[in-house]
Amino acid sequence: MTAPGPVLRSLVDPFHPHPYRVVARRRETSDTVTLRLCPATDPYLPGSPGQFMMLTAFGIGEVPISLSRVPDRSGMLEHTIRAVGSVTRHLVALRPGDWVGVRGPFGTGWPLDLARGRDVLLVAGGLGFAPLRSALEAILERRQDYRRVTVLLGARTPSDVLYRQILPRWQRRNDVDLRVTVDRPDERWRGQVGVVPQLVSQVAPSFEPTETVAFICGPDVMMRFTVRELQRHGVSDDRIFLSLERNMQCGVGLCGHCQLGPFFLCKDGPVLPYSRLMPFYEVREL
Amino acid sequence: MARGSVVIESAHLRTLILTLQREGYQVIGPTVRDGSIVYAELSSDGDLPVGWTDEQEAGHYRLRRRDDQAVFGYAVGPHSWKRFLLPSPFVLWRARRTADGVLEETPPADAPRYAFLGVRSCDLHAIRVLDRIVLAGTAVDPIYAHRREQAFIVTVQCANFAPRTCFCVSMGTGPRATAGYDLALTELLEPGAHRFVVEIGSERGANLLAHVPHRPARAADLRAAEQAIARTATQMGRRLDTNGLKAALYANLEHPRWNDVAERCLTCGNCTMVCPTCFCFSVEDRTDLSGNVTERVRQFDVCFTTAFTYTAGTSHRHSARARYRQWVLHKLATWVDQFGTFGCVGCGRCITWCPVGIDITEEAAVLSSRRGAGAEDT
Amino acid sequence: MNESSPEHALRMHPFTADLNDEQLSELARLARVAVYEPNEYLLREGDPATAFYLIVSGLVSIEVFVPGHGARPLQTVEGGSAVGWSWILAPSRWEFDARALERTTALVLDGERLRQLFVRDCCLGLRLVQRLLFIVAERLKAARLQLLDLYGPPRELP
Repeated sequence: MTAPGPVLRSLVDPFHPHPYRVVARRRETSDTVTLRLCPATDPYLPGSPGQFMMLTAFGIGEVPISLSRVPDRSGMLEHTIRAVGSVTRHLVALRPGDWVGVRGPFGTGWPLDLARGRDVLLVAGGLGFAPLRSALEAILERRQDYRRVTVLLGARTPSDVLYRQILPRWQRRNDVDLRVTVDRPDERWRGQVGVVPQLVSQVAPSFEPTETVAFICGPDVMMRFTVRELQRHGVSDDRIFLSLERNMQCGVGLCGHCQLGPFFLCKDGPVLPYSRLMPFYEVREL
Repeated sequence: MARGSVVIESAHLRTLILTLQREGYQVIGPTVRDGSIVYAELSSDGDLPVGWTDEQEAGHYRLRRRDDQAVFGYAVGPHSWKRFLLPSPFVLWRARRTADGVLEETPPADAPRYAFLGVRSCDLHAIRVLDRIVLAGTAVDPIYAHRREQAFIVTVQCANFAPRTCFCVSMGTGPRATAGYDLALTELLEPGAHRFVVEIGSERGANLLAHVPHRPARAADLRAAEQAIARTATQMGRRLDTNGLKAALYANLEHPRWNDVAERCLTCGNCTMVCPTCFCFSVEDRTDLSGNVTERVRQFDVCFTTAFTYTAGTSHRHSARARYRQWVLHKLATWVDQFGTFGCVGCGRCITWCPVGIDITEEAAVLSSRRGAGAEDT
Repeated sequence: MNESSPEHALRMHPFTADLNDEQLSELARLARVAVYEPNEYLLREGDPATAFYLIVSGLVSIEVFVPGHGARPLQTVEGGSAVGWSWILAPSRWEFDARALERTTALVLDGERLRQLFVRDCCLGLRLVQRLLFIVAERLKAARLQLLDLYGPPRELP
């Protein structure tokens, strides 16, 4: 790897990206990769599960991407990126040694404090597993702080399930109940077929609704139906947390794009309790 | 807070401008350009719109000759001060890709020292609204902060024109400016006597006046000034009832009137561009032909486009109804939750410059009326 | 009452757990416990629909056979739920296959006798048909969501 390039910037200026290098690239699915990024200069950026970074592809633009692994002691972090638009297509194509601009961390994280001492239910749909992975890792690191830990994953096909290399390691643990369901199985799939909200009913008998904290991330429709399932089983709205996706450009509540009602999802979100989101989240096109 | 008042003769407006220039300020003020009164750099008092007024109505703006020599005898034009405080487009940074990395070559910060001449009370409030957003939030915008800190503000109290699309009285933002300026002028037009009562709002304002010939204000001057401003208040062409407005709009997110406005709204975004508080911006990376030099440019964005909410292949606000609703809801409801104030200062620009004459005061009145949730009158 | 008796299984299954003793023993008389090995069919498309399956444990795939592609799983059903409702609309045949993916234990209730019981005891009949309708509605909802292809590649605006 070449020496990191020097970068002159002001630390107080929220608009300037920090230089990072791609150190590893892992293909997750046909259109999704996970990039491991390493800071090219000191100091590195912090970050907690559920927060996001703004990633710059040189000369192309900038996009918000949640932390799938939070920075370790050397500042190394991971992002799982799906090629959807021009910037993400370029990010997905990066190779080890390539430059990435990083700003952040931005937004609210998953409320792990609230989850401590309670049953935790993580529900992810598709790429929504990325921000929940960092939460899962934080929980497993201090497993004894939590009661039942349940992870429900939905994916389009078996080959669209993220983090398949490490999934078996989590599945083998007897202190985590991890269930995967797919919409369209292939010939080799021996697991569940169906949508992720259905799994809530399956696991509901194993958690105590009044002592459960749920973190949900996935497409809006999947989150809506999952919330309803959780409500039906008695989980209260202020213990159901959603991570929302919107157009985010500045990350600090100045550019105005990510508004949902009174919220700037880049700083008031992306993780918010359903109790606060409720009056606005289900209003169409708000 | 006024620190006393003096009177200057109209001829000394020139001295005021010259003094500001000598102090190193770039003086921005009203001038006639392309059939409207805009804000631009003034080289001297000769650039001011002397003897002009504007005729405004919903979707209508015309300049007219006055039969006097009033300097500030017009309401507000299409420009507001945000174009100087939040310059657009603005290069946030520039960087070059080299063999061993990416080198940032951000241009040196060269925030100009502005003196704003002719800031109306509504616009003074608009600047205060921007201060709350850009200076008091989780992150401070350094571009705005530098310009704002240095800006010298000469307010002009509203007098001597018919405020047809204005509604500052009902918004509590005018027509009289009471704070936030360095100097505040009230133009007095009397037969054979053309002068300005000058309220001193800051130490800086007082120091500047030392270079401009003046005399102490007499009670009669002050009375004449108050009367002129009071006349503007009584002539106000519009009003917006803010009592319970936020709650009413939140309750009426599915009001049938949104569909009705959407039928008329062209989603052109003129309202956002003339609005003195609309602050939304987008960023865009631009690259030279080699692909090795790139710059990130920030410019005002418009919530009336579908691109505004474009995320991962889709737009969250497809319908015109949703986009108009976002704008009005933001100005009059969500803004209050976000920043503790309305996003509207009653300047009336959005009414005047809407090509189809949509009137926010009229829409807000209907939209906050108790027939939301799709209920029709029977 | 032994652990693998129909009555015990009925008492433990969420579909019937809250019924009274009399109702449970009535149902137990027309039920048997069956165990299916992986890949064994509980029921097959085209066969007469004569039973109702309460899944006790395991995993069952509802599927359709597509010539040239083999079995296409559509949805899976876990322990605690139920499979098969065509019996209620007798005489009828199964519309899909149900195949065990794992070793599966099910309570198999005789459809004909269940219908007769529902006619005799309409209150019980309505209660259980309501529960069945709930399962049908859940499965329809899930099928609708699956149709949306929620995690598919986003479509770019034109």
